Amino acid sequence: MKKTRDDILVGVVIVVGLVIAIVGSLWLARGGLSKGYPLYARFAWGAGLKTGAPVWVSGAAVGYVSDVQFRPDGTLLTQLRITSDQPIPKSSPATVVPNGIFGDVAVNFTPKHSTARYIDGDTVVSGAAVAGLAQLTAKADSITTSVASLTSAMNKELVAGGGLADLGATLAGTNKLIAQLSAIAATQSTQLTETMTSLRHATSAVDSAKIDSTLSNLRTASGNMSSLTTSLDSTGRALSQIVAKVDSGSGSAAKLINDPALYNDMHSLLGRMDSLVADIKKNPKRYINVKVF
Amino acid sequence: MRFLDKASGPFSRIGERGYFAADIVRALPDWRTYGVETVRQMRNIGVDSVPLTIIVAAFIGAVTAFQTRYQLFGGVQLSVVGLISRQSVILELGPLLTALVLTGRVGARITAELGTMRVTEQIDALETLAYDPIAYLVVPRVIAAIIMLPILTVFADAVGVGMAFLTSIVATDILPSDFMAGLQLAFAPFQIVYSLIKATVFGAAISFFCSYEGYNANAGAEGVGRSTATAVVITSVAILVLDAVTALLLAPYLQA
Repeated sequence: MKKTRDDILVGVVIVVGLVIAIVGSLWLARGGLSKGYPLYARFAWGAGLKTGAPVWVSGAAVGYVSDVQFRPDGTLLTQLRITSDQPIPKSSPATVVPNGIFGDVAVNFTPKHSTARYIDGDTVVSGAAVAGLAQLTAKADSITTSVASLTSAMNKELVAGGGLADLGATLAGTNKLIAQLSAIAATQSTQLTETMTSLRHATSAVDSAKIDSTLSNLRTASGNMSSLTTSLDSTGRALSQIVAKVDSGSGSAAKLINDPALYNDMHSLLGRMDSLVADIKKNPKRYINVKVF
Repeated sequence: MRFLDKASGPFSRIGERGYFAADIVRALPDWRTYGVETVRQMRNIGVDSVPLTIIVAAFIGAVTAFQTRYQLFGGVQLSVVGLISRQSVILELGPLLTALVLTGRVGARITAELGTMRVTEQIDALETLAYDPIAYLVVPRVIAAIIMLPILTVFADAVGVGMAFLTSIVATDILPSDFMAGLQLAFAPFQIVYSLIKATVFGAAISFFCSYEGYNANAGAEGVGRSTATAVVITSVAILVLDAVTALLLAPYLQA
């Protein structure tokens, strides 16, 4: 009876252990006990995919990568096992995206509006690869290489080529120049201080009362100039009126200027005056008779 | 001459164990002798060790997950905890600590049982009755250990991972979905096979070394105690060495 009990106990433990091992392995490998359905995708070499990598639809887990096969045409034929009931719209591209900072990747579907959905055995559209940690690391590597070459060149120029020594000498010369400029500035500062002191003395020597009277005189002169300007203005206006009268021809002056008959009279008068003077010169005794006594 | 005796000592001990292993292999066809006893030993070694194995594995899983969580620096996705817990428990801690614990519980018991039989001349009596003591006493223990250690390791792996999951979601800020994502990441069924291969090797080591020390015990009760201590030490060291050897040989095949 005891042996029978031992048999049963041992058998139960072994069976339970085997079931745990098999079911656990299947569960871990498949991402669940649901069998799901396979989809196929092709990605470029170096995508970093490995079995068990998660498959997402917009970040939500729907399955896992169940197989990755190397193809000599530069691609990896990848089997995606979809274990979720979540429908994946047809023509939704699958992209290899980074998953964390350790270089792990996942396959992510970006859903497109479509009534059709991927079914068992479909080959999905492969989207453009997203730059992952590997690419960033490669970029960082190239930057590091550039920095290293730059450092090497600087080392060559500055250390091996004596540039650093020249730089030191330049700095020493600059320091000397700055010291000289400082000395000049100190001297100039002293002179400037003296100039300012003299100016302050000169300013204090000016008699403010005289300045006030001068300013008062200037103010009076300015007033006089103003009244003078007013007088000139009125004079100008009076002259303008006279000129207007002359132009209009009324009055003696206007007639003197504007009447041609008067001009002719004056002209003939002057002619006769000339004749008279000539006659006087010719016959002075006719006109001038001086008697003394 | 004395120097030669001392120098040849280790080789002699290795040779004696080699003969002992050959005797075990030679006794394997005699299944009628050890068949029934094997089941009884499977009960002693395997079934009775399940509670201890589960307790040890539960604490291993909990501590692994908890420590892993608080070793992560900012920016690392928390699903890493599931991945590291799974790999640590299944690949290393499950089989190794189960074997070390069973070395104390099962190995010491095997050595003490066989040693007591030896010093009380029960083994000599079996030989007198034309029984093969190796087939009747040693082979059932070796077979039972080789079969039950992997089974116990499966329990240890399952409980360890399960406890890591519970600890992560109860005692830390990890979401169940995060832990599950890491748990299933880059899993290859060979990882389970690797764990079971280790457990099988450890089971063979425990039963073999402990049986040898007990079978060759002498000098009365004191000798039994000395043999038991020696068996536990040798077996523990052998398990660690075999752990390294199996890792060196099989780890390259673990890549998912």
